[in-house]
Amino acid sequence: MTAYTERSQGSPWADFLSEQAQVLSIAFFFLVCVVFFAMTTDTFMTLGNLLNVIRQAAPILIVAVAMTFVIITGGIDLSVGSQVALVNAVAAIALAAGLPWPVVVVAMLCFGALIGLGQGWFVAYQGIPAFIVTLAGLSMLRGIALYLTQGYSIPIKGVPGFFALGRGELFGIPVPALIAIAVAILGYVVITSTRYGRQVVAVGSNMEAARRVGMPARWAIASVYVVAGVASALAGLLIAARLGSGSSNAAVGFELQVIAAVVLGGTSLMGGRGTIVGTILGTLTIAVIGNGLILMHISPFFTQIVTGAIILIAIWLNTRIFTANFRFGFARGNRP
Amino acid sequence: MSDRQQENAVAVGSGRVNPARNGRADGGRVPRIALRDIRKNFGSLQALRGVDLDIYPGECLGLVGDNAAGKSTLTKIISGTYIPDDGTMHLDGEPVRFSGPADARRRNIEMVFQDLSLCDHIDVAGNLFLGREVTRGPFLDRKTMLSEARKMLDALEIRIPRLSSKVAQLSGGQRQAIAIARAASFDPKVLIMDEPTSALAVAEVEAVLSLINRVKATGVSVILITHRLQDLFRVCDRIAVMYEGTMVAERSIAETDLEDLVKLIVGEKDER
Ligand SMILES: Nc1ncnc2c1ncn2[C@@H]1O[C@H](COP(=O)(O)OP(=O)(O)O)[C@@H](O)[C@H]1O
Ligand SMILES: [Mg+2]
Repeated sequence: MTAYTERSQGSPWADFLSEQAQVLSIAFFFLVCVVFFAMTTDTFMTLGNLLNVIRQAAPILIVAVAMTFVIITGGIDLSVGSQVALVNAVAAIALAAGLPWPVVVVAMLCFGALIGLGQGWFVAYQGIPAFIVTLAGLSMLRGIALYLTQGYSIPIKGVPGFFALGRGELFGIPVPALIAIAVAILGYVVITSTRYGRQVVAVGSNMEAARRVGMPARWAIASVYVVAGVASALAGLLIAARLGSGSSNAAVGFELQVIAAVVLGGTSLMGGRGTIVGTILGTLTIAVIGNGLILMHISPFFTQIVTGAIILIAIWLNTRIFTANFRFGFARGNRP
Repeated sequence: MSDRQQENAVAVGSGRVNPARNGRADGGRVPRIALRDIRKNFGSLQALRGVDLDIYPGECLGLVGDNAAGKSTLTKIISGTYIPDDGTMHLDGEPVRFSGPADARRRNIEMVFQDLSLCDHIDVAGNLFLGREVTRGPFLDRKTMLSEARKMLDALEIRIPRLSSKVAQLSGGQRQAIAIARAASFDPKVLIMDEPTSALAVAEVEAVLSLINRVKATGVSVILITHRLQDLFRVCDRIAVMYEGTMVAERSIAETDLEDLVKLIVGEKDER
C-alpha cells in the first residue's frame, strides 16, 4: 500500500516560532521602543504617562481591532476617521439639544452600524472595491460632519455620566482603556473561536472556497464594515467624552494610524492572515512612539515624519528579515 | 447499496461505445448517473454537442480529451455549476434537474476543483469542516473537530502529522488529499475530480491514486479528468474520450492501451 510521504515532524517550538514570527517581531520592536524612551526620557516610565498613553491609544485600538477584521477579509476601510468625526459631531449636537446621554450612545452605535452597512453593501453585494467605496465614504462623511457643524466645535455641557466614559477611571485605569481592552478581548475571541470569525478568515483566505462550502460569504464581507462602523462610533463617543466637545475636525489622519497599527501587527493586506494580539502590539507601538517623541521635545511636525519612517522600516523588517529568517532558519524537515 | 459487490462484478467489461439509450444498460442495472444528449452552448460555441454517458456505482470513469474538448463543462453540468441547454440527466434512475451547485451537493454529488478550494490560512481540521463547523454554544468546538478530522483522514489512510498546522504549510499531495477527504466526507454518491494529479510530484501522484482507489472502494462513483493517461490505468474501470464537444469513444480499461487512447484523443478515429 502506498503511504503518504510526510514531512518529518519539526519541533513544535519551531512551528510555533514560524507561525508567530510576525507577532514576535512586533513584540520585540515594541519592547525596543519602550526601552529606548525609558532610557532617553525621565517621564516616559511614570505611571501618569503610561496611563495617558493607554487613554490616548484606546480609540485607535478599538477601531484597529475592527480594522483587523476588515483587512483579514482582504478589504480596507479608509473612512473610519471620517466616521469618528461624524459621530463625534452628531453626538455633540444631540447632547446639546438635550437628549439623554444613554440614548445618544445607543443611537450613535446604531448610526455607525448603518453607515458600515451601507458601505459593506456596496463592497460585498455590488462588487465595488473597498478602497473606492470607503474613499468615497471618507470624503462624504467628513463633508457631512463639516456641513452639520459649519466647521465649528460644539461644546458638550453638564452630562457627567457621558464625560465619565472619556475621563473616568475604574481601579485606577482610565475607562476608555478598559473599554478598549474589552473590545480587544472580544475581537480576539470572535476571530479565533467563533463560527463568524472562521467565516471572516475564510472569505479573506479564499472567497471562492468559502462560497462553495456554503458559507454566507457576501454577508461575512459586508458585516466587517458594520463592525468597523460600530467601532468607529464607539471611538467617536469616547473622544467626544474626553474632549467635552464635538468637532468635524476630530480624528484627522485617524484612519492612517489605525491601518498602520494593524499592518504593523502583521496582518496581511492580502487578506486571510491577521491577529488581534499583533494589532494590540501595533497600536501600542504607535502610541508609544508618538508619546515618546513628544516627551523628547521633538517638534510635533517631526513626529509625523518619524512615525511614518518607523512604520515603514518596521514593516520592512517584518516582511523581509524576520519572516525570511524564521522560514529558512527553522525550516521543517524535507520529504524523504 | 447492498448489491454493490455484485454491481462491481458486472461493471468489468461493461464499457462499450454507444450504451443503450434507455438509461438502463447492462441488463437492468441502474446507472448512478445517466446523461442523455446533453448539449451546452456558450454563445455561438457549441461546448457540448449531445453527450451520452453512464456511470455506475463504485466505478471510476476516466474522462479524457484534448483541451477544450468539453470535459470540464460536462463535469460542471453534473455538479450543477452549469445548467444544460438540452438533454436529460438521471440520478439512480430518477430524472433530475439541478438548479445550482448547492442542489447537486444536496443530491450527494461532490466535486474537487482544480484549485482545491482550500483556505491556506486555516488549519487542516478547519478546512475539513469548512462551512459546517462544529460549535459548542457560540464557540468552535475545536477538540471535536480535531478528533473527527483525524477519523476522516484515518478512514482514507491519509497521514498528516499535525492537524492544527495551516494548510499553506503542507505539500501539494497533502493538500490534494485534504480536498479529496473533505469531498469524500460528505458521503457522496458521485465524486468528480478535475486534474487532481497535474501539479504533483511523482510520489504524491502515487499517494493520490491509491487514495482514489480507496474512495472508490467505499462505493462512490468517481469521475476523473486527467491529462496523465498512465494514471487512468491505475484507477479507472472505464475511459470516456471526448472530442470537440462529443463523446467519441468509451473503452473498458481491459480493452484499451495508451496508444489507442492517444489516437482517440487526437481524433484519428478507429473503425468502431
Ligand atoms: N464559461 C464559459 N464561457 C464561454 N465559453 C466557455 C466557458 N466554459 C468553457 N467554455 C468553452 O467551452 C469549450 C470547452 O471547455 P472545457 O469544458 O473547459 O474544456 P476542457 O475542460 O475539456 O479543456 C472551450 O472551447 C471553452 O473555451
Ligand atoms: Mg478543463
